[in-house]
Amino acid sequence: MQKFLASALARGLAWQLGGWLVGAGMVTGIRLLMGLSPLGLFFFTEPAWVFGGFLGVLAFVAGSRIVDDWTKWAKGEQIPDHRDDPPGWGKYIGVSLDHKVIGIQYTITSLLLLVVGGSFALVFRTELSRSGMQFLSLQWYNTLMSLHGIGMIIGILLGVAGVMNYLVPMLIGAQDMAFPRLNAFSFWIAVPAVVLLLSSLALGGFDTGWTGYPPLSARGPVGTQMFFLGVFTAGWSSILGGLNLIATTLRLRARGMTAFRMPILVWAALATSLITLTATQLIGLSFQLVVFQRLFGMGFFDPAKGGNPVLFQHLFWFYSHPAVYVFVLPGLGVISELLPVFVRKPLYGYRWIAMSSLGIALVGFLVWAHHMFASGMNSYLQVPFMYSTLLVAVPTGVKFFSWVATVWKGKIDMPTPMLFVLGGIVVFLLGGLSGPPNATVATDLHLTDTYFIVGHFHDTIFGGYVFPFFAAIYYWFPKATGRRMDEKLGKLHFWLMTPSFLTLTLLMMRVGLLGMRRRIADYDPALGFDGYHLLMTIAGYLIALSVAIFLFNLFRSIKRGEKAEGNLWNSRSPEWQVSSPMPAHNFDEPIEVVGEPYDYGLAGSQYTRFVQAAQNKDLHS
Amino acid sequence: MKLPDKASALQQGVIIFVFLAVLTALEFLIAVAIETIALLAVVAVMKVGLVAYYYMHIHKLGEDAGEDRHSVAYRTATSRLGLWLFLLSDSFVFGGLAVARFNLLGFTRPHLSQVLGLAVTSILLLSSFFMNRAEASMAHDDRKGFGIGMVVTLMLGIAFVAGVLGVEWPTAIAEGVSPSASAGGAIFFMMTGMHALHVITGLVLLGIVWRNGSRGLYSADRHWAVEAAAVYWHFVDVVWIFFYPALYLVGRVA
Repeated sequence: MQKFLASALARGLAWQLGGWLVGAGMVTGIRLLMGLSPLGLFFFTEPAWVFGGFLGVLAFVAGSRIVDDWTKWAKGEQIPDHRDDPPGWGKYIGVSLDHKVIGIQYTITSLLLLVVGGSFALVFRTELSRSGMQFLSLQWYNTLMSLHGIGMIIGILLGVAGVMNYLVPMLIGAQDMAFPRLNAFSFWIAVPAVVLLLSSLALGGFDTGWTGYPPLSARGPVGTQMFFLGVFTAGWSSILGGLNLIATTLRLRARGMTAFRMPILVWAALATSLITLTATQLIGLSFQLVVFQRLFGMGFFDPAKGGNPVLFQHLFWFYSHPAVYVFVLPGLGVISELLPVFVRKPLYGYRWIAMSSLGIALVGFLVWAHHMFASGMNSYLQVPFMYSTLLVAVPTGVKFFSWVATVWKGKIDMPTPMLFVLGGIVVFLLGGLSGPPNATVATDLHLTDTYFIVGHFHDTIFGGYVFPFFAAIYYWFPKATGRRMDEKLGKLHFWLMTPSFLTLTLLMMRVGLLGMRRRIADYDPALGFDGYHLLMTIAGYLIALSVAIFLFNLFRSIKRGEKAEGNLWNSRSPEWQVSSPMPAHNFDEPIEVVGEPYDYGLAGSQYTRFVQAAQNKDLHS
Repeated sequence: MKLPDKASALQQGVIIFVFLAVLTALEFLIAVAIETIALLAVVAVMKVGLVAYYYMHIHKLGEDAGEDRHSVAYRTATSRLGLWLFLLSDSFVFGGLAVARFNLLGFTRPHLSQVLGLAVTSILLLSSFFMNRAEASMAHDDRKGFGIGMVVTLMLGIAFVAGVLGVEWPTAIAEGVSPSASAGGAIFFMMTGMHALHVITGLVLLGIVWRNGSRGLYSADRHWAVEAAAVYWHFVDVVWIFFYPALYLVGRVA
């Protein structure tokens, strides 16, 4: 307990609360002096909550002492290159500079947030199981629906960051990230962001959906502001994390690892990071403009003042469409990374796969307005955006061809990670095939804002992120702990989740085609959707059960899992050539790359070797 | 790599500054005499090219820093890449603001004093010149030149912030361009405010570097902090090279 109270986490949270109250108090005091009403609906007024929330984030940073080294640097003091972590679990709630610890911190935070966001879905899914309002008010329905969306999105972003942080330095044979302190900062800034986001529950909620379109978001309750502020803060985590990954990949690769000898996951991380580094600024800006519109009456999106609500949608989707590629590209990278290991064959079309990640990321910058076909934007924009969107199918198709060709005539091994890889491919295919009808203007005008979109979206994200994420955890868990997760429970998890999930999304698409609107709390019983919705709700609960089994398996295996210290999956990747759990500085002997990464099954081929061992061999020969 | 000697480094700074000043004057005359946006864009891009190459040394990104991961040169090169990636990211905020400005106002501009705009622009441009002098001096171990350059840069930077926040904002409000009156006013305050925030951050960095520099922490071989602060400061200038014509010169008064 004492260890917890003294940790960076506990101190940061306490300071955040303090900073919040001080900031809110300051604004309230100023309002009193100016003769404005000092108190509002939720005790403090909206400006007080917003300024307090902002100050709270700064206070978290100060209280958790994540910037201590930088202040020392500014004072002209010497700072060490490395800091060793204390033994035990304490390092996971303290400031660590080790990318492996930070990766696990990200992953745990992500899982927590995904569980919270997922349970919100269960609550409103229960409400939807029958027509008519059962137990939720309209405002609560909207709030839970909105928070499910943004909670899952931030959760996935943190999960993506976790996977990339943990793996990229290992996969390129580096000791750590290029900027370890910035890496720690990127993780820790996400913690106050999550607190801000969830605080909207207590401040009237927000009923705009995660997209936060004005004019609705310009007049909702104070909770809307907390949502904006939370996402804005979390954005910094994404931006700085992306910066770090790009610099790491470009500067710290092992000797001999040329661009086309990098693991596919590293290519995917690079493509992802290009998006998070640049586009994230635009969602931050768009949210900031709404915050200012609410606080100072600046009429960016207010037609009465000459503003333009559609401008918000352009700025917002410029990030928020590429954001889905941020979710899926690392997942697709995991699929390409694991497939050759379990079919014992070379990855088919390595260069094409590497380039397709970059291709998706770059084309992804040019497709945003396909979310706005029904928004009243200029109609001449519709056709170009339709074609650019359809173009995304080309590099994505390249990936599918490669996966099919890789599996073709392979000797397939089916442990749990491989099940999730194959499940991910199938589900992502469904998501991909249901995409083009939304991209073509004529069909989209019928489908937009229906449950068809909801089904399509969940298919892409489960196939592109959730399944590969689970595969990655089952696969690399031994690398982090030296033990493996239980196979039986893993298989139960998969066989419970996959059919339930397919039932859920296929029914979503079905009711969507029949005219079920998305984001609404109730539907007309005469539409005859009651039975479908009941089935979807049951499927939702089964998914939750399977995730509960996964979490049980995860936490049990940390201490009680079967020992697995060697190269468990018989992989060629550098991180499996050293012991598990990974040594503190990854590779005590530097490695160098001497061959192709995915030449599985080719006799005598080698990907990496230790520089030291190679030199000794040269001496003896 | 052989450094140019100090006199020619300083001379290069002067020549580039003269070019920039002439281009700025030309830009102003173009805007007053003929209403053409294309020419203004060409001039702005030329100015940014000069600043990016000669003052921000963008070419250093391509320099070979050797193979030794632990050497100062290698680590500086990594930090340099990180800084430029950050600037790339940051330019998306300013790009987004510029897009918003043209979306809301089209080819009209808010009712502002063009002379006042030219005045603050000149101050910022001049500060970039002195920043370059300070950095070039440190690169040749001239501590005194560094100190003078930094102090003048800091003072010009403060003058710029005071000019925008203390003079320009009240003047604009008096002319009816206020944050809450219209979307045009709102975007003017948002653009200048976001830019001023970056100038103030730059001033804090310059202050830190000046203090540490005058305590003798940097040398001709190791002054990455000075270079970083300088690049950031010039970046803030680059943003203004686009914002100034976008707010003060483009199109007719709304």
